[in-house]
Amino acid sequence: MDKDARPSWGSPMQFVLACVSYAVGLGNVWRFPYLCQMHGGGGFLIPYVIMLVLEGLPLFYMELAIGQKMRLGSIRAWSAISPYLGGVGLASVLTSLYLCLYYNIINAWSFWYLFNSFQPVLPWAECPLNANRTGPEEECAQTTPTQYFFYRQTLNISSSIDETGGLHVGQVLCLLLAWILTYLFILRGVKSAGKVVYFTATFPYLVLFIYLIRGLTLHGAVNGIKYMFMPKMEHLADPKTWVNAATQIFFSLGLGFGSLIAFASYNDYNNNFERQAIVVAFINSGTSIFASIVTFAIYGFKATVNYESCLERTRLLLLNTFEMAEELISLDNMSDWIEKLNATYPEQFDSLAGVWENCSLEDELKTAVEGAGLAFIVYSEAIQNMPIPQLWSVLYFFMLLMLGLGSMLGNVTAIITPLRDFEVVARHISIEALSGLVCLFCLLVGLSFTTASGNYWFTMFNDYAASFSLLFVVLVEVIIVSYVYGIRRFEKDVEDMLGRRPSWFWKILLVAVSPLVLASLFIFYIVSYIQGGTPTYQAWDKHLGQSVVTEYPIYGQVVIGLLLASTVSCVPLSALYTYCKTKRRPGTQELSVRSGTQELSVRSGVV
Amino acid sequence: MLGTFLVLLYAGASLAQNMCEMGYGGYKVRLSIKTALGDQAYAWNENEMFLFRATLAFAMRKHFNDNQYNILVCNETQRVSFHFVVTDPRNPNVPMEKVQVEKAVRASRHRINSAFLLSDSTLEFLGIPPTLATPFRPATPPWLIAFGVVIGAVCAGIIAMLTSSLVQRRRQKKGKEEEDGEEERGKVTESSMACDHVDGVCNRAFSDDERLTKM
Repeated sequence: MDKDARPSWGSPMQFVLACVSYAVGLGNVWRFPYLCQMHGGGGFLIPYVIMLVLEGLPLFYMELAIGQKMRLGSIRAWSAISPYLGGVGLASVLTSLYLCLYYNIINAWSFWYLFNSFQPVLPWAECPLNANRTGPEEECAQTTPTQYFFYRQTLNISSSIDETGGLHVGQVLCLLLAWILTYLFILRGVKSAGKVVYFTATFPYLVLFIYLIRGLTLHGAVNGIKYMFMPKMEHLADPKTWVNAATQIFFSLGLGFGSLIAFASYNDYNNNFERQAIVVAFINSGTSIFASIVTFAIYGFKATVNYESCLERTRLLLLNTFEMAEELISLDNMSDWIEKLNATYPEQFDSLAGVWENCSLEDELKTAVEGAGLAFIVYSEAIQNMPIPQLWSVLYFFMLLMLGLGSMLGNVTAIITPLRDFEVVARHISIEALSGLVCLFCLLVGLSFTTASGNYWFTMFNDYAASFSLLFVVLVEVIIVSYVYGIRRFEKDVEDMLGRRPSWFWKILLVAVSPLVLASLFIFYIVSYIQGGTPTYQAWDKHLGQSVVTEYPIYGQVVIGLLLASTVSCVPLSALYTYCKTKRRPGTQELSVRSGTQELSVRSGVV
Repeated sequence: MLGTFLVLLYAGASLAQNMCEMGYGGYKVRLSIKTALGDQAYAWNENEMFLFRATLAFAMRKHFNDNQYNILVCNETQRVSFHFVVTDPRNPNVPMEKVQVEKAVRASRHRINSAFLLSDSTLEFLGIPPTLATPFRPATPPWLIAFGVVIGAVCAGIIAMLTSSLVQRRRQKKGKEEEDGEEERGKVTESSMACDHVDGVCNRAFSDDERLTKM
């Protein structure tokens, strides 16, 4: 029929699943449980839900409305809404590009762990032996086998960001596979992506459910869950709790990248996005809470296993030092024996001071980890102790893959959709070729993250490329919609699409509450950047077998500055450009009227 | 003469014994039977000790291809740990060098462990590092195999999709060429204020024309 008609989702359900697949990502699994633990367990849910309602919902609603109304990607959509502030669309695309560059590395790691699960003994369960086979390899002996597998065999990490090292062949191959798979999913745009999201959105829930059952039946899981859900209300007085709740909601929903605008632009004009926005936002938060229950069951299991092996080591130490028969000391009467022995042989007891470990379940539970450390180290440590570890390992890393690839769909769509809005691109390059070019470019640049120092660059991008800039972008977006474009015109547009105006609830949130929350977050970020001094990173020291805090070298700090400045400066630079353009040709600025649906219904032959 | 010889012999024999009791000249052994075997643990008694001495003598004989050796054991504790010293019957006064004993034990470590149903960590020779079995290394790393399968499948999928969209496009082009002649007349042009032909900025704020065009 009409080949220029904008493609659309096969059904509204595909759109909802695409949003769920995009929003529910790795952050739900590895950041939320950490925040919960750090900020008072069950008590953290209070600021979390409050921020969801005050900030998450209205911003999500706004982005979907913009996309569905304009039926364009972020660049042209924002240029159309507000000609001078159209640079915000460009900033979104640039941030999405940075994200695409480094995000697929995580999928590459998931692939690596997944493929390594098909072995009779999981490679992270045991240390490899040293050269003369007398014991474990030195670096591995200093740390745990799981950490060794991640830092040495997965990343082959160098000791600082300065030492580049070579490419890790396994990583390169896995990254290649990750990009090829991403290409397969998006090569036909929403036509192919719409079918893929049925799987990427639902499969993680299946695995989480299986893990919930498995996790709850593990020995010691209850310890973890009790620890997590015990609300420690005093954390609510700490402003950091509220800031972290707000940032978590913000980043978890994937606002500001332009992916939501891109997805919504393929919607039917009268699609009920209001209901869908509420549904997706709540599903996203619900998934975070669900995932953290699973994570804490696993935590509890791991902490209990570590605690019990600590007790066992202490028991052996006592037996060996005091030459007592094995059956005399058991885990139950150990504390009595410790007192007795300390009283009877104080000098000998003191000589143990160097090797004595204080075993504490509380301490084990307190070791909170977030990010890649949690997903790849802590979880794999827990998995190796389960019966049939290969099965659990495969399930888990496949789930991580689905979560990661689902988010990648949104990230790449956020770049491709705005590019295809430009006629010059759409006419000369087919969508398959454009997707291929974008994937190839990201793959080639992403290879730099597979070098020995690649993980340090990855962490830098992870921390700086898409955090501050997003806050800025969304703040500008909400100010544009509420004040520059005007909430009244926005109301009319929504009424046009849905048949009713947004209620006062949405209007108050959009005009007053969310800009306020965003502005305070923005200021908080600036203040903490200034106060934080030189940015630092965790460098892996192979002699100590742990990470040490190191400052970024000068060129590293320059790159950080560039990452932040490049996206933020898009807005003023583009405003300047538009201003110069209109100044050069005064009076020719016409307000042209055209939209996607007009195009469709006109060309169908009906006048 | 015989008396001196006997006195010397007696004195010499007790030198090794003395060294054993002092705790040097050989190695300390520690067994953790209950930890290793749990319910199926056997009790440590004289018979087991005899087996130990016999196994160690076997290890020494195997390594040196020589005759019998004497194993002196002392300082037995309830932990089940003791000190042993190896003596050569040709020279019973002086215990054998530790290095030699270590080599012999390391060579037959697996046999010694198996005799007691224990492992390197539960039958410890303090000071002799264990010789761990080389892990089985397959010819191709297993992850590469799984990787090969997946990437093959994905590439096949991509080729399939690309060819199908190419075929589709070619079919559409053919169909369009036939229709094009008829369509030219009936083609409805859009509103003259189409966005791309203007050097300005498109403002889509007032795009409410759909209401008019919907029939």
